[in-house]
Amino acid sequence: MAEPLLKIEGLTRRFDVSKPWLNRVIERDEKQFLTANADVSFEIAKGETFALVGESGSGKSTIAKMVVGLLPPSAGTITFAGQTIDTSAGIPRSLRRRFQMIFQDPFASLNPRWRVGEIIAEPIRTFGLMNPTDARKEAARLLEVVGLSAGDVNKFPHEFSGGQRQRIAIARALSSKPEFIVCDEPTSALDVSVQAQILNLMRDLQDEFGLTYLLISHDLSVVRHMSSRIGVLYLGRLVEIAQAKKLFTEPQHPYTRMLLDAVPDLALSGRRRRPVEGEIPNPISPPSGCAFHPRCPLVHDRCKREVPLPRPTPIGQAACHALDRVAPAA
Amino acid sequence: MADPLLSVRDLVVEFPTRRGTLRALDRVSFDIMPGEVLGMVGESGAGKSITGAAIIGLIEPPGRVASGEIRLKGERIDNLRPEALRKIRGKRIGMVFQDPLTSLNPLYTVAQQLIETIRTHIDCSEAEARKRAVALLDRVGIPAAARRIDDYPHHFSGGMRQRVVIALALCAEPELVIADEPTTALDVSVQSQIIEVLKDICAERGAAVMLITHDMGVIAETADRVAVLYAGRVAEIGPVREVITEALHPYTRGLMGSIPTLTQESDRLVQIPGAMPRLNAIPQGCAFNPRCDKAFAPCFTDRPELLALEGGRQVACWLHDTAKAQEVPHG
Repeated sequence: MAEPLLKIEGLTRRFDVSKPWLNRVIERDEKQFLTANADVSFEIAKGETFALVGESGSGKSTIAKMVVGLLPPSAGTITFAGQTIDTSAGIPRSLRRRFQMIFQDPFASLNPRWRVGEIIAEPIRTFGLMNPTDARKEAARLLEVVGLSAGDVNKFPHEFSGGQRQRIAIARALSSKPEFIVCDEPTSALDVSVQAQILNLMRDLQDEFGLTYLLISHDLSVVRHMSSRIGVLYLGRLVEIAQAKKLFTEPQHPYTRMLLDAVPDLALSGRRRRPVEGEIPNPISPPSGCAFHPRCPLVHDRCKREVPLPRPTPIGQAACHALDRVAPAA
Repeated sequence: MADPLLSVRDLVVEFPTRRGTLRALDRVSFDIMPGEVLGMVGESGAGKSITGAAIIGLIEPPGRVASGEIRLKGERIDNLRPEALRKIRGKRIGMVFQDPLTSLNPLYTVAQQLIETIRTHIDCSEAEARKRAVALLDRVGIPAAARRIDDYPHHFSGGMRQRVVIALALCAEPELVIADEPTTALDVSVQSQIIEVLKDICAERGAAVMLITHDMGVIAETADRVAVLYAGRVAEIGPVREVITEALHPYTRGLMGSIPTLTQESDRLVQIPGAMPRLNAIPQGCAFNPRCDKAFAPCFTDRPELLALEGGRQVACWLHDTAKAQEVPHG
């Protein structure tokens, strides 16, 4: 692989969820921390779509926020285009233009008091890329790029439907000519027929502008459709990284298998879904060793003691002690 | 064929607003057979939840059932007085809502809520009701049910709460359970557990299920038949396998193609242009005509009625009306 566009090493984020100081003194409680992400490492090559999947509470969005600099990591490094970002100082302005983000809820991510043209031109203005007249023309052009009409610049967000708003959010993300876009559940708030329009648009734009995506989603079929590689998160740790198509045919980690077994499929293969045992544990007091061990069918003593490290698999990498004992997928 | 358990005919639900009356449901008709799972799908605003609410008489005023009939085992229930309806609700029709946190009362223990519901509908002693409640919780898969029954709803996780809600819906042994997006608030791994429980327990007790969801995957696995709603009208009804693999209505076909699947190899998803019309701007004729690539003359003037075809399938589309379809030179 060529030099990765984004490289993340040992990214960790803890949140202090302790009770107030006085309560701790009176009730003799310790400080409590919630580890949202522990030791997450991955690379994204230029032009690819890397997806992160996981259930709620697995730390998908926390990673997205750390990558775009909305949240400082507790430990770990982020390297963008060969330049290591000093996370304590925030992302330098010169790099910030090259990052953008698309959020889940297009009703919350657009300022209702701004006209669409101003919303789209805001990044241009912030980074001083063009004079105001050109910026307005650019906003109109971008609206056409995302499938709306140039005349919409003077409308307000409430005049648009959910899918159209998400198109506006995409136009805004494109306006600073970024190379890398973090998409945090871009279609979860949309209906399926609109979701298809947005996913197709995202792919077209990727081809046209050579974009690199970090796609965050809980929907495995969306992820399979969109991405080239997938990272599976469980309780803040990456349990498996694999090529997208292979992950669905030859999942290596027992959690990935469980997740795939649980997805309802339209194909009507007649395959009986194996309901998963148990639920995701509380991240404040995660299980010892491998966090998945209480639900894992392949658990043995070592899993309860040691946190497994990622090791290479035929299709990527996975963190599981039982890996050498897992029979290949049927 | 046996008599349907629930029969809905030409149901119209209207919401008067300052800018005119909105028709949320426009002459919706369908049947549910005893013991059957009927899936009800559609996009947001298609009228799925309103259909469920209309059946159990929970349309919020100023909305109202303007016309049409709802019959439960042949007996009309849409024009009952509130007291009579309350006896049916819970006793003969159980309800599972989307959000398990808001459908349980946070101030009462699970035991209190279950026992109250059981004793409202079934004549039995408190001890007897408690025994039933524990058995029911055990059946829906709550570990250590006898101990956990005295916990409050906030002691349970989302998936466990939804199990409690299912127990609550089933405790009076209803003939029909209306499940409105029962798994939408849950993660996939928990979702499969809940669907499994709902399906098994209803099959065991012979209760029919009306499963309202926008997730076609869930429908594909669970339902016997599926009704597709579009803009407050039924577009298509049929056995689930046929509707998914060879949809008759162009909308259903587009909808199925737009869902990414885990097995298909395709670079682009099928995309239906545009979006569902707002209720105040439903086009004349077929509501789908502005987005339909097969639309021809009658689609713009006359509304297609549900046509009964072979194999228990029904579709509301002029393309399948032999008399009309002859007018088009379509290929």
